[in-house]
Amino acid sequence: MSATDDVIRKIAGQASPVRPLPSPWLRAMLWLVVALCYAGVMVLMMSPRPDLTEVLARPEFQIEQLAALATAFTAAVAALSGTIPGRGRWMLLLPLAPLALWLGSVAWSSAPDWTGSGLQDVMLRPDWMCFPAIVAVGALPACLLVSMLRRGAPLTPCTTVGLGVLAAAAIGDVGLRFFHVQDVRLMILAWQLGSVAVLVALASCMGRYLFKWRHQRIQEAAE
Amino acid sequence: MIQSGERDSGLAALMRQTQGGSESAYHQLLTEVAPLLRRVVRSNRGFLQPQDVEDLVQDILLSLHAVRASYDPERPFLPWLMAIARNRMADGARRYSRRVANEVAVERYPEILSAADTNKLLDDYDDREMLGKALQRLPRGQREAVEMLKLRELSLKEASAESGLSIASLKVAVHRGIKSLRAILRDET
Repeated sequence: MSATDDVIRKIAGQASPVRPLPSPWLRAMLWLVVALCYAGVMVLMMSPRPDLTEVLARPEFQIEQLAALATAFTAAVAALSGTIPGRGRWMLLLPLAPLALWLGSVAWSSAPDWTGSGLQDVMLRPDWMCFPAIVAVGALPACLLVSMLRRGAPLTPCTTVGLGVLAAAAIGDVGLRFFHVQDVRLMILAWQLGSVAVLVALASCMGRYLFKWRHQRIQEAAE
Repeated sequence: MIQSGERDSGLAALMRQTQGGSESAYHQLLTEVAPLLRRVVRSNRGFLQPQDVEDLVQDILLSLHAVRASYDPERPFLPWLMAIARNRMADGARRYSRRVANEVAVERYPEILSAADTNKLLDDYDDREMLGKALQRLPRGQREAVEMLKLRELSLKEASAESGLSIASLKVAVHRGIKSLRAILRDET
């Protein structure tokens, strides 16, 4: 009996019923519901901003928040699709359109800040709350999504984890806008979207370590 | 085309039964895909040695096992399998290039110990009677691991197959066994 036959015999011996993973769209929807519930709890804990009703009526706020939500959902779909062998790679590009809308809407509305006289004041005011707040609101959704991703195949670990963290960070930013009073567009662009970009870049770098083939993880743990 | 469609639907049916927990269907599925994978690996990685090809095929089979829940029973089987195979072949190629880059071909290994040091080392551990006695004092699991891996020089895979223990357990047992042996031999001398 060859070594491969032996491996086949051993693997077949471990046969047990497994439930096929539901479609990435359904899983992303479930994830979004849980993530939004958690973000809602975090907003209540941090106490919503006093001018919330007024801000909610602003069209630019609505567009930005909806674009961020759409980015979160499509990034989650893309990340989950990326773990299913045989799915088209084009799915990884799903969040591009909502992401462009999100960045574009914030950048477009920040144009007066670039040209106005207050640019220097804006740039010199660091807003250190954004990064930890986005991390806090996005932490549980990120952990949940990574655990969902690890049930699939690490075909493109860096991209997949990066997309997963983009989804979670977008939820973090949606939550942040409900309790953090910061409406200077350039500040939002620099500190909030900048934080999202930093988190995505870090996660992408760590993707290969966070997301490995399961038997490879077992082998490495044994060595 | 029709043949490949029929083949795919046959494999997909086996995979569905596998997801339902059927051991015989799983065995049949793996037995049928192994030659196919071997051909794919050979045609894509013609430079690999036969043993490396087998290693890669086994790696793909283990990967298939790890992510068998990700197969959608409504979709064709072969694109799913080939996506896994392509990914594992790419990983294998990376591992292969790393290994080749780190290997140094030498015709003759340099001596790293002087003759006196070598003899001293042998003297210390060449007392077979003392070693035998020390071995008998080890716990059963550690003794067997040391005997298989160090005295009979079996590979970890062979020792695992013979003892029924996992490779990880054998590594731990032999490590502890050697540590205990050193302590016993040090006390004796």
